[in-house]
Order: sequence, then C-alpha cells, then structure tokens
Amino acid sequence: MKLSELIKRLDLKLLTKSDFEDREITGGYCGDLLSWVMGKAKPGNVWITIMSNVNIVAVASLTDAACILLSENMNLEREIIEKADEQDVVILRSSKPSYILAAEVFQAVEK
Amino acid sequence: MKELSLHILDIIQNSVNAGASIIEIEIEEEEKEDIFRFSVKDNGCGMSADFLRKVKDPFTTTRTTRKTGLGIPLLEAAAVQCGGRLDIVSEPGKGTAVTAVFQNSHIDRAPLGDMAQTMVTVISGSPEIDFLYTHIKNGQSFVFQTEDLRRVLQGVPLDTPEIIGWIEEAVREGLAEIQVK
Repeated sequence: MKLSELIKRLDLKLLTKSDFEDREITGGYCGDLLSWVMGKAKPGNVWITIMSNVNIVAVASLTDAACILLSENMNLEREIIEKADEQDVVILRSSKPSYILAAEVFQAVEK
Repeated sequence: MKELSLHILDIIQNSVNAGASIIEIEIEEEEKEDIFRFSVKDNGCGMSADFLRKVKDPFTTTRTTRKTGLGIPLLEAAAVQCGGRLDIVSEPGKGTAVTAVFQNSHIDRAPLGDMAQTMVTVISGSPEIDFLYTHIKNGQSFVFQTEDLRRVLQGVPLDTPEIIGWIEEAVREGLAEIQVK
C-alpha cells in the first residue's frame, strides 16, 4: 500500500511537505522509547508514537521509516517539522490513540 | 534507553573515543532534594566551542562524526522529560564533563540499572584507562578506583578474568552497602 492511500483511508493529517506520499508501506511499528525503536523499526514502517521531540526525526531517518504517525494529536514545534522536511521524513498526525491507530494501520496494510 | 546505566555506558564510550586516560564517573542520588544526577568527566581531547554547540543536535552529530551518534540527544531528552537537564562543559586539549540531572521521583525516570556490569564492561574494554567511580546516596558514599587496584596488582592487567570478576563483586557489594538497588 502507498502512503498516500493510507493517509486518505485513515484520514490522517499531513504535517510535512507532501513530496513522498507514494512511498510503499511495509508494515508498522509502535513505540515511544526511541533507543528501542532505533533497533526495532523496519524500513518502510509506519512508526506510531506520542514522542514529539526532534530526536524522532533522527530515528525515522536512521530506520528509513515510511513516516512518523503522531497519535493523540501531539503538538509539534515548527522547527521539528522543518527538520523533517530537510531530512525527507514524513510526519502524519491523528487524534486517535496509538492502540487504535496500530489496529487501523494493521487492517489497512496487512489485508 | 531502558536503564540510565546504558546512557552512562554510552557517555563513557565517548570519553574513551576522545582518548582519555582518566575517566571519572559520579552518581548522586538525594531523595530529600529529589535529585538524581550523574556526571562523566574525562581528560580526553575535548570539543571546540563550535562542535559543543552542535553536539546536542541529532543530525549534525550523526552526520559529521559516527562517534557521538544519538547518545547525547537521547540522554538530553530523557533528562528534560524528567524535569532535569543536560550540561556539557568542554575545552579542547583539556577534556569534557557531561552532567545529567533528573527529578529522582519522576515517573518516567528510568531505573539506574546494573552499575557493576557497566564498570566491568568499560574496564575490560579499556584496561589501560584509569576509572574513578564515586556513588553517593543520601549522603553515604562508595568509591571505586582502578588506580588503587593497579598499585596492588603490580603489572597484572585489569582485564584478567579473575580481576574482572573481583571488580564486579567489589562494586556490587560497595553499592549494596550504601543501599543502592
């Protein structure tokens, strides 16, 4: 499934520039302990988290995640979004909690 | 990281990479003041003012040197998240001191983890470096220094298996005496 399809299907808000919406999604990973996610998230994963400091951009970039999906409407400072654009990292947002988003991403990607 | 000792290990590794010959580790837990603090001081190559400004940024660090990686940014985020902060003082040619402060009782403060294992890991990795480890808990302190040990051992390397086993036991017992869990 393409990232652009997922955004439409799950009604996600795109926070970064939309140049990378046709990325292919390989699955998902859910976690807030960045050092843990660094070793676990796979390339092409939708990474669901509530963490909102600049380090998430570095972790997404290192793991080649398809995107960061912020749950529970977490607020992001403008500099973090700028950093993400610089690094070609896509950041999406939803008001739903991580549990629900993980289920929805699973439904969309694995089926 | 799941335990603060993993952050400490990471910061000590930076000191090793900076060519330090003496590394001082100090951990202070004060329950009354609700403070948990640790610092790693070395006499390594130090950092220029310019590099020091960039060292907390995960990108400049990962992109320009592979030595630092995300270690410092993750530690800073962990400290700030627990109502604390990260301070780095460094001077080229003199050395670097990294100090992390946490609110001790903060729910997100990771447990310390296994310091005996951490000390054994760094000493076996760099047996020629002198390590000084001070742990203070509620005013009581425990000090372990490889310099003392080296004098007694008269040339036997610190990474000899028996010595390493002894170090681990000594640190574990010393910490238990001052009620470090």
